[in-house]
Amino acid sequence: MRIPDRRFALYLMTPAALFLAVFVAYPLFRLVTDSFFKISPIVGGPRDFVGLDNYVRAFTSPDFIGAGWRTLGYTLMVVTLEFALGLGMALLFTTLGKKSQVWRTMFLYPLMIAPIVAGLLWKFLMIDNFGLLGSLLSQAGILQSPNQIGWLSNPDIVLFSVAIPDIWLTTSFMCLVLFAGLQNIPGDLIEAARLDGARAPALLFRIILPLLRPVIAVALVVRGIDAARAFDTILIQTNGGPQSASETMSLLIYRTMIRFGDPGLASAMGTIYLLAMLAIAFVAVTTIWRPGKDT
Amino acid sequence: MSTMESPVIPARPTTKETAPLSRNRRRRGVNREGLEAGKRSTRTILWILLAASLVLYGFPFLYLLFTSFKTPIDTIAVPPTILPKEWTLANYVNALGRSGVPASFINSIQTAVISTGLSLVLAVPAAYGITRYKTRSGRIFIMAALVTRMVPPVAIGIPLASMMASVGLADTPIALSIAHTTISLPLSIWLMSSFFEAVPQDLEEAATVDGCSRLGALWRVVIPVVSGGIAVTAIFAFLASWNEFLFALLMTAVRSQTTPVVIANFQTQFGLDWGSMTALAAVYSIPVILLTLLLQRKIVAGMTLGAVKG
Repeated sequence: MRIPDRRFALYLMTPAALFLAVFVAYPLFRLVTDSFFKISPIVGGPRDFVGLDNYVRAFTSPDFIGAGWRTLGYTLMVVTLEFALGLGMALLFTTLGKKSQVWRTMFLYPLMIAPIVAGLLWKFLMIDNFGLLGSLLSQAGILQSPNQIGWLSNPDIVLFSVAIPDIWLTTSFMCLVLFAGLQNIPGDLIEAARLDGARAPALLFRIILPLLRPVIAVALVVRGIDAARAFDTILIQTNGGPQSASETMSLLIYRTMIRFGDPGLASAMGTIYLLAMLAIAFVAVTTIWRPGKDT
Repeated sequence: MSTMESPVIPARPTTKETAPLSRNRRRRGVNREGLEAGKRSTRTILWILLAASLVLYGFPFLYLLFTSFKTPIDTIAVPPTILPKEWTLANYVNALGRSGVPASFINSIQTAVISTGLSLVLAVPAAYGITRYKTRSGRIFIMAALVTRMVPPVAIGIPLASMMASVGLADTPIALSIAHTTISLPLSIWLMSSFFEAVPQDLEEAATVDGCSRLGALWRVVIPVVSGGIAVTAIFAFLASWNEFLFALLMTAVRSQTTPVVIANFQTQFGLDWGSMTALAAVYSIPVILLTLLLQRKIVAGMTLGAVKG
């Protein structure tokens, strides 16, 4: 006897769905439940229901609010810079045409490097005293002394510095995706616009960017989600310091959970963080992506 | 284009380059390829720009490599030098000889292989079910899989670790590879769906008419056709696990520690031993960089497919 197609499809999806239910949905459920308890970090320790107390503590904690703003700032900075650089590179590769193909490959390699390695590498480049970056800039006469900037030790700029490895790692992704999108723009269209006297800025803002919109939306949303979860590169570079100036949400939750041993509070923070991400992603997808409308 | 290109990636957008339009490209000053720059002077400037950005882009990793060959004094010399004054392999001997390092490589490989296998076994049928039958549950499922992508590992790492501990899997490569699969499975489903989308439906219809069951058609007809796509998906799943750090940090102790955790631990455990750290980082990165360069066409295809098709 032949089972109906609909059920057959369901059978095919069941193992993956079960896996995600057990190993993602259930831990998430545990996270949300834990957020209503005060939990002792000791295994088998007491566990008291405290209602919304953890949420109140989270929202009244300056650490949490600070980390929220920093995460937002970090994400916006990373995504904006990556988009600008990635679009620039993609346009460069497109205008150079086929001969630049080999170089496109070279541009790929940071994507394969572990974030932890990238963070380590940039920490070594930006570190005070023997960091190459400050030293080269001062030799070039741009800085008076190699330590003038204090990339990773100055609380005012550290959030930017810790973003550098992230940008370095994934600009290639932006570039690739945008490049692929650019290849799908019909050449005739550009030509027609040129014949009508459109100059480069008009071409870019009136034709290229609007046509790339769906691709840009996907790239921004995907990268935005990743950047908002950034952990590895920041942990290895500054561990959130100095003075928590580079402590983003992932780091704060990690620290609350592991160092301060307060899983209840950390769970509340994690729940808020996840809900915020879902809300922002939803808004982003519905406003800029609009699947099925543009393509 | 080349033999490496599998026939199932018609969506690969770069094929535009081979469009017949390019014959006219030679015409001076007139842009016949849409966005391609026409004037020679413009092109020269653009090439210089490209060269400069590639140097900037490639240099950091080269510097890591150079540093890994420096002596300890050179490494933290003020001012720093780019090239080692004296080339030495001491950092490599040091890093690889340290206890726990070789074992961590084995753990990394084990974890990545198990996680890749698990992702594929689960994602291939699921993606097929989603794309071929287009049911309501399929649409809901792919949206749910996308939402999974937003879950921050830090939020589920601890509950996952305690779940693993309660079934006696604490601190094992299996537990970590399951955690890594929560990352790579949604990605794999997404990628495989794009690949299945490109397979003409007639293919299985012909097979089923010939007396093949649906499962038989999937296994004997469709899977061979999308083998290129499966390879791409496998690479991504492997890389996701190989480079992952946070789950590894939360879920492993000594026994199943992967190399990224060991690299991070160099910072505290042994003081700041930059030389050994850079050597280990180089050894860990070079295999995947080489892999990328070898399989770059496939990787580019996979990376752009999902996004460009929207």
